[in-house]
Amino acid sequence: MSVLTQPQPASQTGVAARAVAASKIYGSGETAVRALDDIDVEFQTSHYTAIMGPSGSGKSTLLHCLAGLDRVTSGRVFLGDVEISASSEKELTLIRRDKVGFIFQAYNLIPTLNALENVVLPMALAGRKPDQQWLDTVIDTVNLRDRLQHRPSELSGGQQQRVAVARALASRPEIIFADEPTGNLDSKSGAEILEFMQSAVRDLEQTIVMVTHDPVAAGYADRVVFLADGTIDGEMAEPSAEKVIDRMKALGA
Amino acid sequence: MWKVTRKGLRAHKLRFALTALAVLLGVAFMSGTMVLTDTIRKTFDDLFADIRDGTDAYVRSSEAIESDFGPTQRGRISADLLPEIEDVDGVEAAEGEIQFYAQFVGKDGDTLGNPEQGPPTFGSNWNEVPELNPWGLEPGGSAPETADQVVMDKKSADDGGFEVGDRVTVLTQNPPREYEVAGIVKFGSADSPAGASVALFETEEAQRITDAVGEFGAISVVGDSGVSEQELVGRIRDVISDPQVEVLTGEEITAEDQDEIQDALQFISIPLFVFAGIALLVGAFIIFNTFSIVVAQRTREMALLRAIGASQRQVTTSILLESLVVGVFASLVGLAVGVGLSVLLKAALSSFGFDIPSSGIVVTTTAVVVSLVIGTVMTLVSAVVPAWRGARVPPIAAIRDVALQQGTRVIRRSVIGGTVFVVGVTGILLGLFGDVDNGIYAVALGALLVFIGATVLGPVFARRSSQIIGWPVAHLRGVTGNLARENAMRNPQRTSATAAALMIGVAIVGFFTVFASSLKASVNAQVDRAFTADFVISTGGFGGATGFSPDLAEQVADLPEVGDSTPLRFGQATIDGDDDFVVGLDPQTAEDLFDLDPRQGEVSELTPDGIAVSTKAAGDNDWEIGSRIPVQFPNGERTLTVQATYGVGLREGLSDFAVSIDGFALGYPENLDNQIYVTLASGVTPDEGRAALEQVTEPYPQAEVQDSTEFKESFSAMVNQILGLVYVLLFLAVLIALIGIANTLALSVYERTRELGLLRAVGMTRRQLRSSVRWEAVIIAILGTLIGLAIGVFFGWAVIRALRDEGFEKFAPSAGQLVTIVIAAGLAGVVAALFPARRAAKLNVLEAITTE
Repeated sequence: MSVLTQPQPASQTGVAARAVAASKIYGSGETAVRALDDIDVEFQTSHYTAIMGPSGSGKSTLLHCLAGLDRVTSGRVFLGDVEISASSEKELTLIRRDKVGFIFQAYNLIPTLNALENVVLPMALAGRKPDQQWLDTVIDTVNLRDRLQHRPSELSGGQQQRVAVARALASRPEIIFADEPTGNLDSKSGAEILEFMQSAVRDLEQTIVMVTHDPVAAGYADRVVFLADGTIDGEMAEPSAEKVIDRMKALGA
Repeated sequence: MWKVTRKGLRAHKLRFALTALAVLLGVAFMSGTMVLTDTIRKTFDDLFADIRDGTDAYVRSSEAIESDFGPTQRGRISADLLPEIEDVDGVEAAEGEIQFYAQFVGKDGDTLGNPEQGPPTFGSNWNEVPELNPWGLEPGGSAPETADQVVMDKKSADDGGFEVGDRVTVLTQNPPREYEVAGIVKFGSADSPAGASVALFETEEAQRITDAVGEFGAISVVGDSGVSEQELVGRIRDVISDPQVEVLTGEEITAEDQDEIQDALQFISIPLFVFAGIALLVGAFIIFNTFSIVVAQRTREMALLRAIGASQRQVTTSILLESLVVGVFASLVGLAVGVGLSVLLKAALSSFGFDIPSSGIVVTTTAVVVSLVIGTVMTLVSAVVPAWRGARVPPIAAIRDVALQQGTRVIRRSVIGGTVFVVGVTGILLGLFGDVDNGIYAVALGALLVFIGATVLGPVFARRSSQIIGWPVAHLRGVTGNLARENAMRNPQRTSATAAALMIGVAIVGFFTVFASSLKASVNAQVDRAFTADFVISTGGFGGATGFSPDLAEQVADLPEVGDSTPLRFGQATIDGDDDFVVGLDPQTAEDLFDLDPRQGEVSELTPDGIAVSTKAAGDNDWEIGSRIPVQFPNGERTLTVQATYGVGLREGLSDFAVSIDGFALGYPENLDNQIYVTLASGVTPDEGRAALEQVTEPYPQAEVQDSTEFKESFSAMVNQILGLVYVLLFLAVLIALIGIANTLALSVYERTRELGLLRAVGMTRRQLRSSVRWEAVIIAILGTLIGLAIGVFFGWAVIRALRDEGFEKFAPSAGQLVTIVIAAGLAGVVAALFPARRAAKLNVLEAITTE
């Protein structure tokens, strides 16, 4: 178990997460739905990857399976060197706590805890002391210094998402999964969050995988993976919002 | 609207079940008590109807003393009345009867049956008139014909293994004596009436035993057929000149016997009803709380109903309908459970010594109707406020998050709650210390107001209190504990209402605990002060239900190992119009053992016509040496002269009134000592002394030899036994409160689904989540317990102070016991959280975080 509780350097292979022949099937028989259909995909360390696709393309399911929140029906999923598709429920919990950071679309924070307590929550759950220097860096990066003692209800939507970003970064996870992190924000606050995430990858060498349907958000990433009907439908390096929009149009989405 | 209600119930089966359970248990307790008392009452009613079946008229003394602790004690009448009555026209037969203390000694040397803790043991004479004799001889036996014979009831014979022709020792007010078992009788089809032990003697022997030669306790009369009871009574009255003799019809005496049993039953039934009421009250709190939470959670649903056109009234109705369904369902099931519970209650009572025989279970219409009505109405009433709140949800709440938590209006709450609380405290103090009629009602109402006041005030301080109580949890258990504490604090109204349900039960537990420890401390202090004796010989109980022959005191006094010894008797008498406790003492020897703090006159010169009174009683009544006081004893009224005053009254642990043993014997039908105090001669070791005393008491198995430590211990044991019974009765109220905690937490967990999902997503383990829910329950439980204990200790203090003049000199709450209660409450919180914690831990993470 100590292997799991120690923060590890990024895997030697440079791959933070990968799925091998991963399928996810809901239901069975006639009504079975293939949310993921035999997917092979890799996510590099210190990269910012966006997953895009129309509604029902399986992008959220892929994220959940990669993050250890859901299980694939067949195939294998790795986080670093650990095959999470073979891990127990309890191991998954500890992997999420120690190796993964999360940013959800909304309701990211525990209402009874203040901003700082929310940021250090995964480490508190692990009974670990946060690395103070790193924590200061993260807090300054998201510009939260003067809001640390506030409860979520006393913060704006943008501030709440900044706290969520800080929490995802604070434990220096091997990989951060973000699920439509700007979906509930106005464009200004959204841009702010996306910039923070970008600088987390460029300046702090973090690894982020983000699901989005917003081409502008995808434009901040280093690479975009497109999904359609549960299969990989190509990818794009060095994306920009315009290029993504063109591509989406081409897909007819 | 009915459809909405029905769907709501079906969608939340669990909530429905838990809420119903809270009502159900209270109703079960209530109906169980009713069924139990009805059953017992019926048993005794039938019993007396049987006993008096052949009796058409009943002649007895009109002199009587009603006792708080037992049957009415009544004087005797002259046996000369019997031939006069027999000569009355219309009398077919008449026979005198007499009853007295008698107890069989088993073959192992122990008594058969113990009247201190169970059905009575008594002796009587064999009635020669078949219509008046309820006993049926078993084959092979015969009626007692000589002074050497006795007839035993079949239960005692079976218990002791006796058969016709055996010799059996009988304890009476005379020295123990052996009799030949002439016959064994059954009472109708029962082995014994109500489990009592009965020794039947030939009439003259019975009179001799109880020192009543030429006397009877009463005369029963059988009339000729054709003569009505009233007419017969009238004719008998005409021949009786003694104003102290009264004549009753058979019907009247039967009804009187039945009433007396009913009164005696209240000793059991009233506490049971009180505790059932407490359980129901706790249940009401839980219903109120559950419906409040449910309304809060269904704000959107209510608002939607309102938005699509439901009137406020329709919303109220839908919530009330839901509570009605819960109430009716829970009351019906509760009633059924109650009938089963009555069997258990009976067993519980018998394990505490109150053995009640009975035939079948009696379920009266009243019991059914009362249980159903109380359960249903209580549920409905408890849901009225939440229903009203629900109706006030504005339609706009359907589309926008409206803060329905109308902000705890701190000032209004503080004022209302504080006022109710203060009025309650005042009521208690007035009832206890003030000069109010029916003070007990003022106290009960005051207690209820204190609970309500504390509940209204609850939300004002629940946040801060949870924070303080949760401090160690948050600091010792890290983030899990911190979350538990924050969750306990986040909704003060909910937390305090949940805690309040537990508060009630704990307050009463606390009260009895404090009262019992104070009682023990007071008695111990009195024993330490007054107990100069080395040993005391007593019947082991403190009720004075039995005693032993005065011969024992003489034998003890004659022992060479004994230095000084003196017997004591206890009785009740009406002194100058007030019911009081009287001791009978031996003037010659009492002061060798007791420091009575004599003031005026000499106790040692007390004559049978004299009385010694405490300085307090003398002061209260303006009596002085030579005052003449009318005293009503069971044997009749006598006027006694105050011959001495002394300082050690009831308040100091003795009694405000003392008469000589000879005077006592004149007043009471039984000639029995209750205690003998003994100091050893110099040079005799305690072991030698005990051996000598035990040898002399050997033929008296009802007498126990105890030193002061044992005496104190046996008192403590008795108090603990009663306390144990109270705990058992309160267990249900506490259990219901725990169901309330479980219910609230389950609802909170449901409400926090998304939050719990997030916690699990970012790495909280199931174990941590369970632990967090558990600690939240512990904080709530301890909050309720601390408030409850504070109130309970206050109740205890007030009552002890009010009873100061009855000898309760010490207010002695035991810190150890109080801490134990708090710890027990914490553990109970853990148990209450088991189910909601499991539920929380089982949440599917992915589903939880995607819940709206």
